[in-house]
Amino acid sequence: MSGNKTNRSASAQQEKTYARFTLGQRWEHAVLFLSAFVLLLTGLPQKYRDMSWSQDLLSTPERLYLIRQIHHIAAIILAMEAIYHIGRAIYLLSRRKMSAAMFPNMQDVYDAWHMLQYLLFLRKEKPVFGKYNFEQKVTYWFLFFGFALMGISGFIIWFPVQFTKFLPGGVVPASKMAHSTESVVAAIFIIIWHLYHVHIERLNLSIFTGRLSEKEMREYHAKEYERVNAGRPNKSDKDN
Amino acid sequence: MTMRNLHRQAPWFALAGVIILLVSALAVFPVNAKPPAQETEKYCLSCHGDSTLSMTLPSGEKLSLYVSQDQLDHSVHSNKGIECEACHNDISSYPHPKLKYENKRELSLNYYQTCEKCHSANYQKAQDSMHAQAAAEGNADAPVCTDCHGHHDTAVPNEPRSLISETCSKCHSDIVDAYKQSVHGAALLGENNPDVPVCTDCHGVHNIQDSRTEEFRVQSPELCAKCHANKELMDKYDLSSDVYSIYKRSWHGVDISVYKARWGAVWHDSAVCTDCHGVHDMLKTDDPKSKVNPANLLETCRQCHPDAGPNWTGAWTGHNEISLERTPFLFYVDKFYSSFTPFILWACIIYVALQIIRSIVNRVRSTLS
Repeated sequence: MSGNKTNRSASAQQEKTYARFTLGQRWEHAVLFLSAFVLLLTGLPQKYRDMSWSQDLLSTPERLYLIRQIHHIAAIILAMEAIYHIGRAIYLLSRRKMSAAMFPNMQDVYDAWHMLQYLLFLRKEKPVFGKYNFEQKVTYWFLFFGFALMGISGFIIWFPVQFTKFLPGGVVPASKMAHSTESVVAAIFIIIWHLYHVHIERLNLSIFTGRLSEKEMREYHAKEYERVNAGRPNKSDKDN
Repeated sequence: MTMRNLHRQAPWFALAGVIILLVSALAVFPVNAKPPAQETEKYCLSCHGDSTLSMTLPSGEKLSLYVSQDQLDHSVHSNKGIECEACHNDISSYPHPKLKYENKRELSLNYYQTCEKCHSANYQKAQDSMHAQAAAEGNADAPVCTDCHGHHDTAVPNEPRSLISETCSKCHSDIVDAYKQSVHGAALLGENNPDVPVCTDCHGVHNIQDSRTEEFRVQSPELCAKCHANKELMDKYDLSSDVYSIYKRSWHGVDISVYKARWGAVWHDSAVCTDCHGVHDMLKTDDPKSKVNPANLLETCRQCHPDAGPNWTGAWTGHNEISLERTPFLFYVDKFYSSFTPFILWACIIYVALQIIRSIVNRVRSTLS
């Protein structure tokens, strides 16, 4: 798939679209989204077991057991997705087949600073971004480390006896607190930060369709738009 | 005094008369109601004071008919002027009607029912007890009033308090032996401590319930909390009164509270106080024999977590608030999230709010221009 491929089946007025996410990446997002959603739904009643709403939901000990089973199955699916994601990234990066566009750099710090000035009316022009702007990188890396922490702490409290064979016992209550608190922090972050950026600021469905319109490219990823139309090769598009 | 004056004062005479009558009634009736000191008792003892007096029941058991003056002197009843016939209400003359009981136990099981006449509230409570349930299931040895309180020598049951454990030990001797070794039992017997629990403080007095049930198990931490969450009482012994509130927030405690709130009839193994500290033989934590002494703690954990390794006990926060010295991992996680959570929340809200404001301003500007 090349960056400036036109959707030829559409009518002449149809806007040009640009590839943003590969099919694999879109599937990964779907698996991540669904498993994390199930984990949140089955985790919250366990976190708030002393509340009556949770006790209404977990009406029988069997129901509690079932919800834990679902939580564990979703955890395994998400863990496998994470291993696949990291393994694939390491493989492609080591073979220089993937751009490092998702890694944070100094430009993101300048962009964030300019954005803040723009939002405070100290600067007239909005900063222009590349393929992934700093907001999107914050989303990715915040959730990357959040899920890593929840994954590790989650497995520790799932298998506390086994983990304390080689880790100090104090990690068990610490993991329990970290797991349950981080989940709420991540949920707050997704609901306020991520949902605003992909639904309210603009309806960005590229993670499902895989493509961005020309207007979106120009407005939100101007640098990428220029780069693609300058005819330079786009490493990240070779990922498919 | 003229007739006219007398007529005028008549209401006052009448009132004084009524008052005199009432006062004399109050003064006279109790004196009349009190029987002359234990006349019946003396009359009965003229025969039953003979220590050799006995008869043989149809079962072959020898029933002593001897009642000593000494026994009666210790009885709360005799000292209050309550006489033999209050309980032996089937005997009013000599010769007595023939005893219709096969054996001694049958006699006790019939005679104790007269307790209800005066002590109906406690009698009814006892009918709801574990003991009455055992009797209903056919256990003739299940205790009735007189087994605990005595019959001719019924004394105040808790003077001294240690008398209560002695009474229970008549049947539950192994448990009372364990209790006597416990921190509670030793303080009771050794220093006559008024604060430590005796059997009845945890098990109830007359409506003693089965302590092996699901319900009893999930409610048992509250029994301990009656004293161990009492700050005034715990300060006296330099003990923490937060142990219960911290337990309630722990994994075990939350688990138990859910079962108590919703699934009281379902057995649950999550630890309650007695699982770790011992049921009747709880000791001070620094006692080398204590189940929760650091030297024995792992073994205690392994009752439920059989594969736990030596690091496992570090996972137990030990009824202590989070602290750097005792629970460093938890301490730093708690410290981190106590600032990280509000930081993320506010950073997200402020950033998104700024973006919304900016985009509204942009839109308004573009419509104006």
